[in-house]
Formats: sequence, structure tokens, C-alpha cells
Amino acid sequence: MFKLMKLESKKHKLAGYLPAVMICIVLIFAVVGLMGWGSRNEVETMFPDYQAFMSLADIFIRTVFLIFAGVILSRIVIEEYRSGTIQLLFTYPIQRKKLMKAKLIIVFAFCFSSIVFATVVTNILVYLVSPHVYLFEAPVTWNDMMSAFPMTLVNALMTAGVSLIPLFFGMRKKSTAATITWAVLIGVLINGTVSNGDSTTSLFQFIWVPIALCIFGLAIAYFSYHQIDKRDIA
Amino acid sequence: MTYILQTSQLTKSYNGKEVASGVDMHVKQGEIYGFLGPNGAGKTTIMKMITNLIKPTSGDIEIFGSKLTDTSVEVLKRMGTIIEYPIFYERLTARENLSLHCEYMGYYDDKAIEQALELVKLHNIDNKKVKEFSLGMKQRLGIARAISTKPELLVLDEPINGLDPVGIKDLRELFKLLCREYGVTLIVSSHILAEMEQMADTIGIIQHGKLVKEVTMKSINGEQTEYIEVMILDVKKAVYVLEEKLKVRNYKVFDERTIRIYDVDLTQAELSKAFVMHDIGIESINKKHSSLEEYFLNTMNEKEIHIS
Repeated sequence: MFKLMKLESKKHKLAGYLPAVMICIVLIFAVVGLMGWGSRNEVETMFPDYQAFMSLADIFIRTVFLIFAGVILSRIVIEEYRSGTIQLLFTYPIQRKKLMKAKLIIVFAFCFSSIVFATVVTNILVYLVSPHVYLFEAPVTWNDMMSAFPMTLVNALMTAGVSLIPLFFGMRKKSTAATITWAVLIGVLINGTVSNGDSTTSLFQFIWVPIALCIFGLAIAYFSYHQIDKRDIA
Repeated sequence: MTYILQTSQLTKSYNGKEVASGVDMHVKQGEIYGFLGPNGAGKTTIMKMITNLIKPTSGDIEIFGSKLTDTSVEVLKRMGTIIEYPIFYERLTARENLSLHCEYMGYYDDKAIEQALELVKLHNIDNKKVKEFSLGMKQRLGIARAISTKPELLVLDEPINGLDPVGIKDLRELFKLLCREYGVTLIVSSHILAEMEQMADTIGIIQHGKLVKEVTMKSINGEQTEYIEVMILDVKKAVYVLEEKLKVRNYKVFDERTIRIYDVDLTQAELSKAFVMHDIGIESINKKHSSLEEYFLNTMNEKEIHIS
């Protein structure tokens, strides 16, 4: 399985996305950091503390990498169907299910690890930058960071599940555009915040929403390949 | 007789319409099997069923002595295929495509790719991406890919499409070489009769999803004799001359102006001399032998089907 994933990433030159991932992380940090820095002289600053800063950064990270996962999904699954290379792939002496699993695991793993990686990098940047440049009010401690980490893993895991939902819409018409559009839509929908001035809330904060969507995503992934041996590849 | 591939009552229907129906194919080990039929006859559908890409509605396929099931993948290791038209990862170079192919096939031999490219005479492709290739080059590359893993069975759908005459000749020789020297069995589909005639050992004629006939080229060549075709102005007079003066019985009046004489002892010179002496105007006189084309058309006509 690992070998298949490696072949898959070689075939689609997935390593080429790494610089883009790095740029995204730096941009997210820059945007959120500038919001904090820009509001340093206001009466009410943007972020009272590290948690507030990270909650916005997390939203950006989740949204951006959910969409990113959509792009990769469309590249390695939908595009293969569209260009007909899936036909070639299925003439190899490898079970179709295994091939599809390898692809979907790549998407899932990419989404999970890029979110974790981005959060870690952002934390490191916060740790290095905040003592010198104003980002938020209360100084951050190492402890704050460590205690936020388990939740990062859980969130990343759920977002990774959600990232497979666009597969359903993309596969219906074998459309890469639909796949990415749905990734954007879902990303914005569940991470977008609603505010009444005092408190803000987003769908992602009701724990059952991401859990349900994550399970939904995994189910879509499963149903996309569980009958694949019987299907005709036109 | 050992068959490397045989199908029994192979049928595929889409929405109740049969695209292939009751196909009984028999491919012998080490031969070139020509799959002949007009466009849309169901050649590709049958080839896709052989390579397990689409699943038969009913009927069986037996390949390398075992039945093909939904999850048979091991047999694919021993096969090289091009279905419909060669498909590549267009963003990669030719060599990258081939090396990926070998890895997926589980075939590891560094020299295999170079050998395959050499066999199809594809040169100077070093760092070109496949999307810059012409159709003919893709066709060659597709064949290189199919043979790179040294398969026992090659399934090639319209491999000479898009090739120039030199390319076609090269490929024909390559196919023969693979078959005679390396013992590879080839199933090659085409709608070009002349190509099949020069290449195939056995011909399967397919029409409207049915395998109408499966014959060896040897038997076609044996069945069909040479004849002289004359176009004259006065058929009646010509028949008289043939019967009375030349004592020819084995002839056929084809239409008002054409007679075919199957008597092989008669030479064109004798014939024209006899006609001229009896003042019968000759428009043309030709020695011909029935080709696969005629056989094919006859077979089609027997079935009262017109080819498009």
C-alpha cells in the first residue's frame, strides 16, 4: 500500500505542492499576525490572548487545507477518470480497491498532516515572533501551546474526513471544477463564523457537526470504491 | 489444441441493447489473431471485456487456462494492452510513463524500456512530455509500453491508427517478429482488411456484436482461387466463344459486361486472342485472386448486412 501511494505521488508530482503548502502557512500567519499587530493601539485589540489568536488562525488553516485537499483529490482521482488514465491503471495486476484506497488515503493523510504541520509551524512562529512584535495582549506560555495540541489533532482528523466529501460531487460528472467548488463551499460553510458582537460561533464548534461530516466523508470514500470491481470502466 | 484465450457466449448489453452477443472466440497460443469488423461492431467492447475493464452481462472468458472473474488481476501481469487509443500521463515524459508502467506491473528490468523504445523505433524523445507527441508517436509509445514488460499476450486495439505507411510496415514486421521469435500471442483489431490479410494467422470477423466467422488465413487462401476478369462489350458472344471455342466451363457471368474465368489453364493471351478473332471488344482484362476483402464482403453479404 505504501508503495502504491509513493507511485501515485510520483505520478502526479505531488511533491510539487510542498512549496505551495509552505506559502499558505506563511500567508495565514502573516494575515492573522497583521490583524493583531494592526489593532495594537485600538481600545479593543483584535486578540486578547494566544487562544483567540489561534482560533482565527485555525479557521484559516482548516479552510485553506480543506480546499487544498480538494485540489489534490481532483488531481489524483477525478482527473484520472476524466482523462481516461484510470483505464490504464485498472489494467495493472493490482486490485482496484487497493488502488482507490491508496489514492483516498493520500488525500486524507495530506489534509491531516498539512493541518497539523501548519498549526505546529504557526505555533513556532508565534513563539518566536510574539516576544518581539506585538501580536496579542497576554504573553503566551509554552504550556498554553502544549495544551492546545491534542485538540489540533482531533480537528485535523475530522477535517481530513470532511475533505473526502467533495469526491461525491466530483465523481458524478467527473468534474474537477465541481470537486474544488464543493471543497471551497464546505470549507467556508463549516468554518465560517457568525457573530452577534459579543460572541462568535461557527459550525465547527458544535462538536457533533464535524464528527457527523467526518463520518459522512469516510462513508462517501467507502462507497466510492466498494463496488468498483463490478463496475465498467468506460 | 491449446487456446490461450477463449470466450463462450460472451455477451454485453447496455440498457437492453446488445453490443456484443454470444461471442465464441478461440485464440491459439503463438498466433496473430486479427479482429476484423467495421467501426462500431463491438471490437473494443470485446477487448475491454478480455482485459477485465468492463464486465460481461453473461458468458465466460477463459484466459491462460483460468476463468476471468471480477477480481482477477494476476492474469493482467501477463498481458500488454492498448484499448481504444493509447492513454498516457500527458504531463510526464515518455520514459517516465514507461517506468511507471513497469513499476505498476511489477516488472523490474532497467533495459526493458530502452529495448521497447528501440523495437518501435521511437528515437529522440528524451525530455519531451507526452502531450507534445503526435498521434503516430503516441501509438508507437503505446506499443512500446505494452511490450516493455514482455507479456505473453498482447491485446492491441487499432494499433495502426494514425500511423504513416512506413510506420504501418514497421509495426507489421514488429508484430510478426514478436509472434515468431518471442512466441507472443497477439490479438489485433482493425477495420483495415489489407493489413489484417498481411499479418494475421486467424481472422475473427465481427459484425453488429456477433462473431460471424472465425477462420484461418490459410483456409481463406486455399478456398479462393485465381481468376481472370474480362470486361467486354458483348457478353453473349463472349460466352459462346468461351464454351464452344475455348471449351471453358468454369466461368461466371458477373454482370452485363463482366465475366470471371476460373479456369487456371487459360492464359490471358489465349483469351484475348480468341475474343479478338471473334470480334469481341475487350475493355479490360485482368488476372486477380480473391482477397480477404472479397471474403469479408461475401461473408457480410451472406448475412445480408451492409457494411458502413
